[in-house]
Amino acid sequence: MTTWSLVGLPRGLTLANFELWSWLSDPTQREILLPVLASGLAVIVMCAVLSVLVVVKRLAFVGQGVAHSAFGGVGVAAMFAAYTGVTWSSQGSMFELGVVVVFCIASAIGMAGISDRRAVQVDTGIGLFLVASMALGALLVEAARSVAQARGHSAGARSWESVLFGSIMTADWSDALLAAVVGGVVLVVMVLIRRPLLFYVSDETSARAFGVPTGAMRITMMVMLAVATVVAMRLTGVVLSSALLILPGAAALKVSQRIGVVMALSLGFGVGGLVVGMAVSLQGNWSAGPCIVLTLTAFFMIASLARRWLNGAGTRAQASTRAALVP
Amino acid sequence: MSAPAVEISGTSFTYPGESTPALANVSLVVQPGQRLGVLGPNGGGKSTLLKLILGLLPVQSGSVRVMGRDPASARRDGLIGYVPQRSEIELGIPLSVRQIVMLAASWRLSPLMGVPGSVRDRVDRAMRLTETDAFADRPIGSLSGGQLQRALIARAIAVSPSILVLDEPTVGIDAPGQVQFAKLLTDLHAQLGLTILTVSHDLRAIAAGSDTVACLARRLHFHASPQGLTPRVLAELFSHDIAGIAGLPGALEGMHVHAHGPGEPCSDPEHVHADTPSTPVTISLPGTTRATGGPASGGEP
Repeated sequence: MTTWSLVGLPRGLTLANFELWSWLSDPTQREILLPVLASGLAVIVMCAVLSVLVVVKRLAFVGQGVAHSAFGGVGVAAMFAAYTGVTWSSQGSMFELGVVVVFCIASAIGMAGISDRRAVQVDTGIGLFLVASMALGALLVEAARSVAQARGHSAGARSWESVLFGSIMTADWSDALLAAVVGGVVLVVMVLIRRPLLFYVSDETSARAFGVPTGAMRITMMVMLAVATVVAMRLTGVVLSSALLILPGAAALKVSQRIGVVMALSLGFGVGGLVVGMAVSLQGNWSAGPCIVLTLTAFFMIASLARRWLNGAGTRAQASTRAALVP
Repeated sequence: MSAPAVEISGTSFTYPGESTPALANVSLVVQPGQRLGVLGPNGGGKSTLLKLILGLLPVQSGSVRVMGRDPASARRDGLIGYVPQRSEIELGIPLSVRQIVMLAASWRLSPLMGVPGSVRDRVDRAMRLTETDAFADRPIGSLSGGQLQRALIARAIAVSPSILVLDEPTVGIDAPGQVQFAKLLTDLHAQLGLTILTVSHDLRAIAAGSDTVACLARRLHFHASPQGLTPRVLAELFSHDIAGIAGLPGALEGMHVHAHGPGEPCSDPEHVHADTPSTPVTISLPGTTRATGGPASGGEP
């Protein structure tokens, strides 16, 4: 039978058994881990707040489209590097980040435009951008390698693994600063336009009829999504970055229908997912991105079960009240 | 003399890529304080007409004026209160009824300031008039169809509009809710003197809150008081499209109406003609019966 110590750990298990604690205790490893955690925190706070709007406005697939558009941006940046000979680390440079952000924003606005004009179905339009960007990225990276070889440069493209699944463990303080600045700007914008933005998210047609500049709101939302996705890519890669823009909000909305509570819960789930995911990643020596996303998925499932239980409790309470009232 | 609330002159509209116009040469005048119901089948141009009045579509031909102004400018200045179809609102949003109403009244405020007392008073009054104050703190997604409709009307009147525009207002509302809705519209009209424009494919919704009816199937076929709206007129107006009209009295419901002009010979031996007496259509809502041509007493339980 397991017995528990005062600090809540089973007897025989100490903090030293946890890799996360070991990393934090060791000065050399702490120096590596702290900027990683700081980057993750900045990204997750931004994504957690945005995710509530993404889920309510049903933009999850748009998020996927924007995230995968990053492939095209990576390809364009690789091509530039091949021609100019600019090199950067495997993590990419500010230039690459800038190119990817611009590419994602252009794709996001393109998707919004296609949806608006109803030239094709919304999901078809998003899918079109998604696959075209991925294909373009793949071709450009391949071409960039040939060009770089012919010109005697090193191929500047990052590894596909890094693009697909991220590599947060190599983040340094400059990455953390960038994530904090971008996250801060996104949050300030959200606070400043909170009223028209919430009106737009809750009921776009009516918001337009009441005079809200819904076109500007849509573009702002898309730009915020694109920026958040690109910054989140460092944490979890293209494949999983959109998960950060869905799961915290989706889990929080399962638990509450009060905007303040939902935002707080979304932040809590996001930060909890980051810390637990990182701990699991270090413990098992697995990639951090998938661990964080799977932890958030577990939180969502727990929240769903809690909702079901709460609904059941409510129904039971109503039934017992009715039974008590019936003579 | 004040300008008409809505004045549409010879307006047509064709969507890009379409060959058939959604609206063809429509002219319509709604005076301030009047209650107009626009009845028509799906695809008959009701939504297009509504979007033109709201300034959400450009005027291609003719003219559209709202309170003597360009519709887009009237919309931007809050002269129009819009009540959308139930399906338009994202019911998953974690906002209460009061917050939804407050958003409409406060979205223009500076982000750095709180909501002033005058705006709060307007919101409170709108909620009192629509009796939504009883469930002000409930999440919008937890409301019944009738409650949601009242919340959306509260949101519309919280901006103190001159014109209230309702799009398919009775969809998703049960029979008792429709009675309450009819009474609410009558009360709001009496208390606020609003011009009310209801657009619907449901004759009951039109009958609930209109003292003038316009029948629209791409063209405006009828625009007068409901006294003249007999089953025969309806049948002739909408011909094949009559299946798209809900809430028709029993005499017409389920009847296949063939498209041909009155008095023309019919070649289809299968169909039943709308050969009913030219009496006004009687609309029956639970607990209430009124002829569309009668006084605006409909909806009284």
